Amino acid sequence: MDFGLTQTQKLIRTSAREFLADRSGPATVRAVADGDTEVAANLWMDVVELGWPALTVSEQHGGAGLSFSDLAVLLEELGATLAPVPIAESAITARILERFGQDALKAELLPQIADGDVLITPAIVGRDASWDAHNTGTVANRTGSGLVITGEARFVSFANQATHALTLVNTDDDQFAMVVVPIWKSPGVEQIPLNHASGTPVYSLTFNEVEAPTSNIVATGTEAVAAAAELVATGSVARATQLAGLARAVVDSTVEYTAGRQQFGRPVGSFQAVQHHLAEMAIAAKQVNHLAHAAAWSFSQDGYSVDRAARAKIAASEKIADLCWTAHQCHGAIGFTWEHNLHLYTRRALAWKTDFGDAAFHKAILASAMGL
Amino acid sequence: MRFDFTPEESDFRRKLSAFLDGALPADWHGPADESRDDHWALNQQIKKGLADRGWFVMSWPTEYGGADSSPMMNTIFAEEMAYRRAPGHDRFGTRMLGPTLMRFGSDSQRAEHLGAIARGEVQWCQGYSEPNSGSDLASLQTRAVLDGDNFIVNGAKIWTSLAHRADMMFMLVRTDPDAAPHKGISLLLVDMKTPGIQVLPIINMAGVHSFNQVVFDDVRVPQANLVGDLNDGWRVGMTVLNFERSGIDYAVWARAALEELVDYVKNDDSLVSTVKTNPEVRGKLASLNTEIEAARLLCYDVAWRQGQGEVPSAEASISKVAGTEIYAKVLDYGTELLGMYGALEPGSEQAELQGNFLKMRLFATSGPILAGTNEIQKNIIAQRGLNLPRAPRR
Repeated sequence: MDFGLTQTQKLIRTSAREFLADRSGPATVRAVADGDTEVAANLWMDVVELGWPALTVSEQHGGAGLSFSDLAVLLEELGATLAPVPIAESAITARILERFGQDALKAELLPQIADGDVLITPAIVGRDASWDAHNTGTVANRTGSGLVITGEARFVSFANQATHALTLVNTDDDQFAMVVVPIWKSPGVEQIPLNHASGTPVYSLTFNEVEAPTSNIVATGTEAVAAAAELVATGSVARATQLAGLARAVVDSTVEYTAGRQQFGRPVGSFQAVQHHLAEMAIAAKQVNHLAHAAAWSFSQDGYSVDRAARAKIAASEKIADLCWTAHQCHGAIGFTWEHNLHLYTRRALAWKTDFGDAAFHKAILASAMGL
Repeated sequence: MRFDFTPEESDFRRKLSAFLDGALPADWHGPADESRDDHWALNQQIKKGLADRGWFVMSWPTEYGGADSSPMMNTIFAEEMAYRRAPGHDRFGTRMLGPTLMRFGSDSQRAEHLGAIARGEVQWCQGYSEPNSGSDLASLQTRAVLDGDNFIVNGAKIWTSLAHRADMMFMLVRTDPDAAPHKGISLLLVDMKTPGIQVLPIINMAGVHSFNQVVFDDVRVPQANLVGDLNDGWRVGMTVLNFERSGIDYAVWARAALEELVDYVKNDDSLVSTVKTNPEVRGKLASLNTEIEAARLLCYDVAWRQGQGEVPSAEASISKVAGTEIYAKVLDYGTELLGMYGALEPGSEQAELQGNFLKMRLFATSGPILAGTNEIQKNIIAQRGLNLPRAPRR
């Protein structure tokens, strides 16, 4: 057991904090939440410049070859600042490609992902908003050259910035296929912007006979379902880690506020009722933090711990939005205003309770892993 | 960051577990009821076995017969003992008094007591709480007045675990009634056979005699048994509490109880096996599993920080709150899941799982209360961990 950061991780944290404090402050977060796509695109360009999309891409394919545990340190900081950048989306789809893709596809896409020229976002939820790995809202006809895809994928993060979507489709021979679908200015792809409480760009995509070459197929049959399940698990741990960072930031800012705010001639943070709220918030934040990092650490070349991944998102989904509501109570009226930034965190926490599976979804997975 | 154990740690865990396989009766369930003579004998036997293998005081420095083991190893030791609900893990001597004597004790006190503790020959108990001094420990009133070479002690201690089995007590007494509450306290070592000491059993709500009231009526304690300086007992005595506040036992008891419950539910022969397909039940069991793992990681965090040379006060409080709360929750749910059988007392006809979930649930009531209530722990988390301002002192 080692709860300390490696030298690499310390470096990631320090540089992330510096960059994000400078470039992803509340004004940026609010602009992106208000739908300013230019601010989001500029921020992403700067992030690409820093080399963040390359961090976990293997060295063989032009990346830095860092572990998912290293990435988690960055994700935590992104969560703490609500940074609206698709690092999690890029890293998890790249990981699925590395784990399940054919060599030719990996050689084609991974170096471009590392360079930021390609951004692949997960698009595996249909109209029923289910994260079940067998679930898909798209069908595909096989042709001589590839797949022709029709249907709908909902709740796709950063679809406007992405070049491709990683999608599970039902093919006409009644099989599953996981496929990389080009969506950037792609004929037949319609993007419907949603106004999502996360404050990040979220879209629904409709596919009308969109073509994807055979070489873009990552996996088929049960392998495709396994890849989809792993994509959800990986995404859920990424979200849990971001939520852990978010929780830390909310605890810190609530401490700062209550220690300064005077009532009855003393800081409200000196009242036991308020202190106990904060102590409980601190406990929850630490629990989610440890579960998330323990889960992230379990991700290796060979797979991941199903139990740990499920626990991370169960705890994050169950605790962090509640933590935010308690923070509002501690802030009093000021925290109820539009002007105060706290609701940005609360909205994000609420929105991500369900992203990549809610607590009930992951409890069902964990219960099976427990042999129930 | 790493979230696994070193080969040395895993190897030690295996060895300790194998020792316990041999030392515990085949049908052992635990927890031990030390008022029962057979359980007390088992306690003594295991202590001896642990001492023989160099594990009993392995946390101590080598000069006192320990192995200078890491805080993580000590946590693993506590974990394995708690997982088996094994008796014989004597915290009072090994974890509380021992380190205190090493730091504050006189040469003769160390010579007299440390070896005896290390060999598992002497049972200590802790005389801190009083009938009118619980969370507000510094208000304690048991008086010690110096009379020649002896202190004369009068007063009463309460909630004293194992006083009925103890050879010795380390106790806080008031030696200067005129000083501020924290300034007039001293720490004494007292032989429980001294005339004037009366041990009155208290039966807890689980029906077990685990703690006592101890009354002192003109008890003569040699001045040489004062640990540290006169009236410096608050500082000396608080060292003890840093070792007392950890959630590892509770987190592990919770794990053991949940495993027992899951095994029971999974078994097609169990009377409640039909519930295992109920999504709500499955979800609840998964949720408890998650909370237990979180509590466990919090304890490892404390051990890791100690290993880094930190004194993780707020983290220890966090682990205590998380551990005691999840333990009670698991047992709550266990009694609920057993349906009508959950209400059957141990020994009752037709009791399932020996009625142990009910008994353990009743016992678990004490977790959030003892060793600093969870409310006190939350004050510590807020004030020492988050640096929130303290309330104005009266």
